[in-house]
Amino acid sequence: MKLIRVTKSNFLFQLGKREKHLLTQVLRLYPRIPPATFRLSKSGKLPDAEANQRLLDESLAEQREHNRKTLQDFLADPRRFTDTEAGSRLSLSRSELEWLLQILNDVRVGSWIILGSPEQAMEFKLLNEKTAADFWAMEMSGQFQMRFLEALEKREA
Amino acid sequence: MAETATPEVTPGTIETTEEKPKSNLEPGYLVVCWNDPVNYMDYVTHVFQVVFGWARKKAEFHMLQVHEQGKSILKRDSMEKAEHYVHQLQRYSLHATMERDE
Repeated sequence: MKLIRVTKSNFLFQLGKREKHLLTQVLRLYPRIPPATFRLSKSGKLPDAEANQRLLDESLAEQREHNRKTLQDFLADPRRFTDTEAGSRLSLSRSELEWLLQILNDVRVGSWIILGSPEQAMEFKLLNEKTAADFWAMEMSGQFQMRFLEALEKREA
Repeated sequence: MAETATPEVTPGTIETTEEKPKSNLEPGYLVVCWNDPVNYMDYVTHVFQVVFGWARKKAEFHMLQVHEQGKSILKRDSMEKAEHYVHQLQRYSLHATMERDE
């Protein structure tokens, strides 16, 4: 995936056919982080801790549902990818790119949690036929994340 | 007898010796980001910039603190605001919590 044009409000990427397929495959895995993963506090010493934790869980669940629907529309929109001889072009606004970063990181972190939250040094030992798909999702979402972050940096430079 | 210092009182201020309990509006809560081996350093820096509106240098400073020391205190704020920031950071799937500043 290559950034071919960047303006104040828009990013245009060129993707090979295989890359387009990989990106849509990764995005379709959303959401991957299991519900109620995040805690509001580590110490638990907050007033109304239970009620506040419930609010956080509800807020994240609502956000996840909203993202899931938006993503469905995003992937179903035939104008999203424009076919070219070399593959496809993907045009994203700044806010869409920001949103896709959240989606991709959910897939990355969720895959890591499914793998048992391993330390980096342990990852290789866990790779086998059963875990290969989760490793693939974690690494692939990370790759697209980095390309999007590079695009944002280029715009800021 | 030990010497006691006379407290300096500036005009227009009311001196109070009573200790007030921490209210939800007081900046008595810390927003903490914890290290994990999955979030990319560049991503964490980016999220700090977006959520707090920080310059890259400041965001990188806190990201490195997370990476090297295991955690970084990102803000000290009221309960409501700290909660808001934690929600934002968790939307980006960062390991963030709020803790009482004791």
